Amino acid sequence: MDRNVSDVVAIDRNVSDVAFKNVNNTLVEASNQTNLKWPLIIFAILSLLGFVGFSIKVFVEGVGSQQWGYHAALVAFLLSSIQSAPMVAIAPRVAKAHWRRSTSRIAEIFGLLGIVNLLLFIPLMWILPSLADGRRSLWFYDALEGVSPYSPHIWAILAIVVLAFLGVFYLWLSLLPDFAILRDHSKVGTVRKKIFKFLSGRWWGSSSNWYMHKHRLGIVGAHYFMLLVFVHFLYSMDFCMSLVPGWIDALFPITHAANALQAGVAVFIVTMYIIYRFGGYREYIGLDQFWALSRLLFALSLLWFWFWFSSFIILWYGGKPSERFVLELLMAGPYIYVFIPVFILNFAGPLLIMMWNAVRKSILGPTIVSIGVLIGTMLDRVRLYVGAYSVSTEPDKYALHSVPNTIWPQFSSDVLLWIGSISAVILLYLMVAKLIPLVNIAEQKELLLYKLHKEFHRTKVMVLGKPE
Amino acid sequence: MQEHVQLDQKEINKDLLDTIFHTPMWWYLAVTFFGVVFLIGASAFGYLLNQGLGVTGLNRPVFWGAYVVNFVFWIGISHAGIMISAILRLTQAEWRRPITRAAEVLTVFALTAALMAAPLVHTGRPWRAFLPTPWILPYDFARGIWPNIRSPFVWDPMAISTYLVASSLFIFIALLPDLAIIRDRSTGLRRVIYSFLCLGWRGTPRQWKLQIVAGILLSALVLPVFVSVHSIVSWDFAVQIGTEGWHSTIFAPYFIIGAIHSGVAAVATLMAVMVWVWKLHKYITPDHFDAIGRLLIVVGLTWFFFFFLEWVFALYTLEDPEIAMRKLQVFQWPWSGMFAVFLITSFIIPVTAWLFRAVRRSLLWMFITTILVNVGMWLERFLIIVPGLMRRTHLVFDWGSYQPSIIELLMVIATFAWLCLGMLVFSKIFPLVPLFDIKEAMINREKIKIGRKEIPASIRE
Repeated sequence: MDRNVSDVVAIDRNVSDVAFKNVNNTLVEASNQTNLKWPLIIFAILSLLGFVGFSIKVFVEGVGSQQWGYHAALVAFLLSSIQSAPMVAIAPRVAKAHWRRSTSRIAEIFGLLGIVNLLLFIPLMWILPSLADGRRSLWFYDALEGVSPYSPHIWAILAIVVLAFLGVFYLWLSLLPDFAILRDHSKVGTVRKKIFKFLSGRWWGSSSNWYMHKHRLGIVGAHYFMLLVFVHFLYSMDFCMSLVPGWIDALFPITHAANALQAGVAVFIVTMYIIYRFGGYREYIGLDQFWALSRLLFALSLLWFWFWFSSFIILWYGGKPSERFVLELLMAGPYIYVFIPVFILNFAGPLLIMMWNAVRKSILGPTIVSIGVLIGTMLDRVRLYVGAYSVSTEPDKYALHSVPNTIWPQFSSDVLLWIGSISAVILLYLMVAKLIPLVNIAEQKELLLYKLHKEFHRTKVMVLGKPE
Repeated sequence: MQEHVQLDQKEINKDLLDTIFHTPMWWYLAVTFFGVVFLIGASAFGYLLNQGLGVTGLNRPVFWGAYVVNFVFWIGISHAGIMISAILRLTQAEWRRPITRAAEVLTVFALTAALMAAPLVHTGRPWRAFLPTPWILPYDFARGIWPNIRSPFVWDPMAISTYLVASSLFIFIALLPDLAIIRDRSTGLRRVIYSFLCLGWRGTPRQWKLQIVAGILLSALVLPVFVSVHSIVSWDFAVQIGTEGWHSTIFAPYFIIGAIHSGVAAVATLMAVMVWVWKLHKYITPDHFDAIGRLLIVVGLTWFFFFFLEWVFALYTLEDPEIAMRKLQVFQWPWSGMFAVFLITSFIIPVTAWLFRAVRRSLLWMFITTILVNVGMWLERFLIIVPGLMRRTHLVFDWGSYQPSIIELLMVIATFAWLCLGMLVFSKIFPLVPLFDIKEAMINREKIKIGRKEIPASIRE
């Protein structure tokens, strides 16, 4: 099957209405055409509320308050959703899945938003007690000599800083060819041209440029994934499990990370739906992407259940007193009304809804389930972190002897902080969306070369090239 | 898949049905050899029945030894088929095609090896499970003693038997078109048998549609069973709070990923054997080894992460008996030696080697490294089970140890012989590579020319 680049449009008429040579123009213009003035203003105002909430928390409630569990839960939620979303670009890219090409940018932008979470994490450095209180920890402070009592603080901040910057770096790397296109499409002498020239870092599209580009994306992506899992490991251990005496669950860090991947896919699907519906990218985003991701979301929802059940059955079956109290704290006791919706939204709902092919193979079905998963993950983080911070005053650091009462959120601080932080994330996303195309131009053009439809007996089939 | 070898249907039939219609001398020799080894193991089992469990190395406090290790090992290997066949089928990975059947057959024979390895042997007087006063089958409800349905020992046979039935069905459904091809090329009694087995397959569009739907449905339905089998096997250990090193929440996923690690490695070993013995180099190419090598890197790293967590959390408990058991595993001979061999062979050497493309594409190196993985994974199960039971802690009246007896070793070796024998006999009756899948791959293959370069492509549904 022989064809030239210029023929692609003729052959691929029903793949996309966008001609190969027009991809540059349409995608460069698409981001400029969307009017985001009012959303930007609204989310900027809501972001300010976050500052108000944070100020009230620091100056009115004080740093010793058990109420900081909500702040820790917020950091965990953002770590589990926005900072996991880049995996939706990284994993399919490593697996060379073609469907990702038009949507990988949407996921990569979330890497930049990790900066917001990094800022939110900083106050927790003051909130988390040092290891001198004698609790069990990953760092074996009492058992080993020379261990700093601030090891959790030091390693967590290091890991989270590197993760945030790796997310930004990954976005920049993937943007290089597009920055060069934007550079070439800007008028000579303008600031825009200079900025894109700087950002495109001497990209000329040579074979060597492309070769290095693909390898760097693979290497940085793999590191992002490993670091993401490591951050979940540290954060879930040091900022949650070790605060609860007697809670020993080797599977918890992995459950935390798996739930994060689930929420990462969910936040991506919701974002993709909004962009599909309101962003002017319908020629690029379609059922293929929703279908592929709905299967992934379905699988991750089942994985959540398996991990949760594997932990639960061992703790419940073992029946040790300390383990019974832990189960009561996190599931059956003061947070049971949070745990039930978590179970429904993260597992039962996705299972019962997405087991139907018609739902999986739709645009609205996966979006609705994703919204549920995001709410479920948010509640799950509240259940775990608020529960953990509520027992931080327990005198026995090796076993829980009673279950504390529910800690309810304060509207003036916790609720405002949550609203403000999530708004800040959305605001930053919208600002980025104004500056760069939300579809990876280079990858989209590559797809048009690899994909075509052809007659096959009495039907028409899709032929997909696999260059590697 | 960069290496496109285009074969016509006639050539595929000739290559893949050759072992069914012509029996080479090596096949008789191999069957005889493995048959004899298996019979020696069976004789050892007979001796065990006659003499009782005293002929084994089992003694208090170590009542689980090589048999249970072997049981867990074979259950692990049985995860090969579903991992390769069901998951890769659902994800439409093209490279799966020539190896799915062999992986599925490996699953079934590994499951039967697992059943041979432990359950009945460990009951003591196993004949009484069935005769003359049965306590398993048929269950004697008249005694008013009900099975404890909360015990993982009751869940075990349910999960394993379901998995065995589902895997067998999986193979059978995928065999139907190939059985029809054999029928059409047979005469006499053979034709009658294959006609019966292929259930009237004519290759009509409706039959194809049903066969594909059944394959996909079985792939999806067998996945939860696949997960449940090794989860339950792990819970045989993990639900106990009295044995150091066993009561860990991570056991279910840790066992599963370990099973996938050893199962996929076993498939890679089998692939190399298939190329060497059955001369399937046109169907199983270095590209396939490369693909399975990449998969093994991911699986191996994931397994190591779980292993790391399992250890970290054992130390995290800060409980003396737990830490004493870990010290025993790592610092006391012979466990320390086994631990070193286990870690080096199951992870360090193979995963490091697979990072190199030349290794991944070499049959010999893939064969060696994947064999190493399974040596390591067998030892891993041994190190989980035996040191944990030795109970070298305070206030334990007997600090026993364990060494497998010759009877146990013969029975363990016999399970390996059983697997090889099973694969050989299967290959004589049914094709080890699915013909219809290969033919479909040939039809689906395309090439796209972009500029001066021609790249491989395939038709997607």
